[in-house]
Amino acid sequence: MAEDLKTPIQTSPAAPASDMVTIKIDGRPVQVKKGTNVLEACLQHDTDVSYFCYHPGLSSPAVCRQCLVEVVGQPKLVPSCYTPVADKMEVVTSSPRVLLARQQMLEFTLVNHPVDCPICDKAGECALQKQYVDWDHTGSRTEFDKVHKPKAVDLGPTIVLDAERCILCTRCIRVCDEVAGQSQLTMAKRGDREILTTAPGQVLDNPYSLNTVDVCPVGALTSKDFRFTMRVWELYTTPSVCTGCATGCNIEIHHSQGEIWRLVPRENPQVNKFWMCDEGRFTYKQVRHRRFSSARIGQGRGLPGQLASLDKATAYAAERLKLLVEKLAGGTAGAIGLIFSAQAQNEALYGLRQLGEQLASKGVPVKTYVTGQKARPDRADNILRSADMNPNTQGAKILAGPAAGDFAALKADLTAGRIKAVWMVGEDLPVGEDLLPTAAALFDGLELFICQAVHDTPLVRRAQVQLPAAAWAEADGTFTNEKSLVQRARKAVEPAGDARSHLELLSLLGRKAGLGAAEKWQTSPRQAFLQMVGTIGGTVPPGSAPEAVPAAGFARAEWGRELLPVQLRFAHSRG
Amino acid sequence: MPSTTLPPSPAGLRTVALGMPTADEIVSGTTRELSNRPRLPQTLGELEGAADDAAFLDTELPTEPMTINMGPSHPATHGTVRIVLTIDGETVKDADVQVGYLHRCFEKEAEYATYTQIFPYTDRLNYVSPLCNNVGYALAVEKLLGVTDRIPERAQYIRVIVSEISRITDHLTCLGASAMEVGGFTPFLWMIKAREWLWELLEELTGARLTHSYVRIGGVAQDLTPNFSERLRNTLHRAREAIEDTEKLIVKNRIFRDRMDGIAAFSAADAIAWGWTGPCLRSTGVPYDVRKDHPYLVYDRFDFDVPVGSVGDNFDRFAVRLEEIRQSMRILEQALVQIPPGPILMDDPRIAAPSKTAVYNTIEGMIGHFKLIVDGIKVPAGEVYSYIEGGNGELGFYIVSDGTGRPYKCHVRSPCFVIMQSLSKMIHGLGIADIIPTFGMINMIGGECDR
Repeated sequence: MAEDLKTPIQTSPAAPASDMVTIKIDGRPVQVKKGTNVLEACLQHDTDVSYFCYHPGLSSPAVCRQCLVEVVGQPKLVPSCYTPVADKMEVVTSSPRVLLARQQMLEFTLVNHPVDCPICDKAGECALQKQYVDWDHTGSRTEFDKVHKPKAVDLGPTIVLDAERCILCTRCIRVCDEVAGQSQLTMAKRGDREILTTAPGQVLDNPYSLNTVDVCPVGALTSKDFRFTMRVWELYTTPSVCTGCATGCNIEIHHSQGEIWRLVPRENPQVNKFWMCDEGRFTYKQVRHRRFSSARIGQGRGLPGQLASLDKATAYAAERLKLLVEKLAGGTAGAIGLIFSAQAQNEALYGLRQLGEQLASKGVPVKTYVTGQKARPDRADNILRSADMNPNTQGAKILAGPAAGDFAALKADLTAGRIKAVWMVGEDLPVGEDLLPTAAALFDGLELFICQAVHDTPLVRRAQVQLPAAAWAEADGTFTNEKSLVQRARKAVEPAGDARSHLELLSLLGRKAGLGAAEKWQTSPRQAFLQMVGTIGGTVPPGSAPEAVPAAGFARAEWGRELLPVQLRFAHSRG
Repeated sequence: MPSTTLPPSPAGLRTVALGMPTADEIVSGTTRELSNRPRLPQTLGELEGAADDAAFLDTELPTEPMTINMGPSHPATHGTVRIVLTIDGETVKDADVQVGYLHRCFEKEAEYATYTQIFPYTDRLNYVSPLCNNVGYALAVEKLLGVTDRIPERAQYIRVIVSEISRITDHLTCLGASAMEVGGFTPFLWMIKAREWLWELLEELTGARLTHSYVRIGGVAQDLTPNFSERLRNTLHRAREAIEDTEKLIVKNRIFRDRMDGIAAFSAADAIAWGWTGPCLRSTGVPYDVRKDHPYLVYDRFDFDVPVGSVGDNFDRFAVRLEEIRQSMRILEQALVQIPPGPILMDDPRIAAPSKTAVYNTIEGMIGHFKLIVDGIKVPAGEVYSYIEGGNGELGFYIVSDGTGRPYKCHVRSPCFVIMQSLSKMIHGLGIADIIPTFGMINMIGGECDR
């Protein structure tokens, strides 16, 4: 992972001196925290030590023997990932003895490694390739056939195992045990016949199974979704946030030529550590699936509506809106309903809020509602997966205001005819696919229904003005997760077809309808963000959890600097 | 341009075109009036008086200065360059030379390519002597890697051989064109034919006629073809005949000499001040040749002369190049005798790709090859300037590495770019027809000049 992409981690106050020990790494005295192991101490102080089985998010079993270092006073080399630091310890990481051990371990690991790089999905981001080039880089001395093991073993719905490539580091076993809490993988047999396999009666089907592919240092475990589709060094990476649920796992979007190929977790100790769930990884498919990509003017009668240019559709909507504002001004004829989708970014919802204020200033009664995807309590666990399937419920609630209604209130108001028009940012309703037509029918009696939609649904087809909006990976903005942490999502690919970001659509329509001409928020997502965090916020009383005051998340939020996508091939050097 | 009265001139001398400021004048900040147009008679009396003045009658009638474009796409210039001329009749009064029409972002592209991927880009610098560029770039990277002494001897000889063949093809192109530029088409055909024989030989060796990408960091891509020495000797023999024929045809040709002698003469002091190198500098009498003065590869093992001119005019530039072809042939003949057997690429997996046998049969070779191709050769952080004698002069590469597989900066000191800055001074006061031969003898190659 490139250094730039790491989420800035809030540094905890320096540990008291009593918690620190002084050790020497290659003759250089350094201070490290008690309980740290030698490998971590070395990595913290810019000393490169090779390793395979160690992972910062997992326990250390010291099985790969690649991290051997010399500790002065100990007769044998010690595995640094398994040795806690002790005061006055002297560690040597680059003596001829250590370098030879490192080189010999690599030679040993490579003895039975197949010549698979050209057909291996890991090639290019493979730890074995990197360690070999860094620490060995000598020719082969073996004259014998390699031991052959099963290839393309189906371990479960998401993963395929190539046992020949496996270097037996057991990271995947520990991911299942320690992260997913389901012991589904194990080692079988001994010596050079040892293989990774599913435990008896088990299938690798836990909801965090694809993390095993991420931690696999080689290409032994490959994702069925990604394998044989794309060479990793050709991909570009853009840091973002998963929109699969309210947890807001930090991710990297790996994309190339306008297509997203996969999502991988990005380290953030505050949210997801190193992990994300399988469902979250597949949310990239929503960016292309059933997309609604050109504006339409509704014809009613369940027809999809007539295609129109964005310009024409917004002009039409603005005209209708102006007439309606004249009619509703005064407040007796009914209200305009603004629907804040919890799938949309904060900046877009802030734009809608600003337009609502403009409408209110013209004397039009405005009602706000928060909708989103239907909750799925069945999937909630205490690991990462949340029952709330919307990435921005907290943000939508804050931006829609304290008086905002939920879907039940919306239904009641629609049925009673209390609202005459609806302006909807995001097409999401918390009803299942089967009930959606019924729910959508509620919107039929409206005088004006503007819907900014990402996907084409029966609800969108009811709208008189249907505007194509950018999906989450196509627009810059922020999401507020369930712990009120405002996190930045970045644009990775261009919007499909004529689609524009919700914020752009709101600005365009707002300008045409005379609701604010050149407001700051209308110029760019960044300006919208700055204006938003300048006006919305709160302070957390000392002693309470940060999530106690959700709006305080906005005050803590940062936009971050602009990043160009980095090709994975160069992710370890300058972009 | 303001006109002034004619300065009192020595008897019998016609108006003398004043040149562009010299380097000394630029340094000292003094300027001169560039125009020397004679003052026209203003009154009838003056006109009558002038009619009796023999010197005035001898003066060509001045015209209004006219600004015309030569290029950027001009049938007679070989190279895309725009010269905005201010002419007075046929005389060039001012010239604004504008280069850059073949700018291909070589230096920026290089920052996004691995060290090995840059070789094809260097082919396209001076594209009539691409192998010199290959060699120059490889030497720069090797200097930064600190492996200059570890390049196998045979590879060094091969690099000398291909460089000298390239130098010959470069000069053949320039000389052939020079005759054509003053009206003689035959020498062009003869010389280009000789160039083609040499390129056929290089095609046999490298697989490409022009874009060879033959040199590698740490050596060269392939060994010489089995009968290479014999074929090269044979080709050189035929090429020498073609050159001799050409020499007989044009060196004593009155038209050719009238158009080349004394045209665009440049002094040695000026040439040094303007940063000239290569055949153009040597034509002014300065015997600077990187191969002699800062020997690289195995150039110190050959016996060859550095020809110099005396006047620095177009004919001297022609003659120096003609003689250099012969000297290059001498070097080639010696190299073919001296070349030792042995490896042609360094045996270091961090720099040179492993053999295909190792790549396809061992995981170690496969990984080494893969990482070398995808990540590039890891060059230690630092900066280097390395220079060789290219076809047109000192071809330098300035490379900054930040320790990754790609250069942080890769700048080319292209010899003809430096010389092109003085074209304006050289053609000042010449006729329009002299621009093309003068431009031709600079041998501006768009790929190298504009990068």
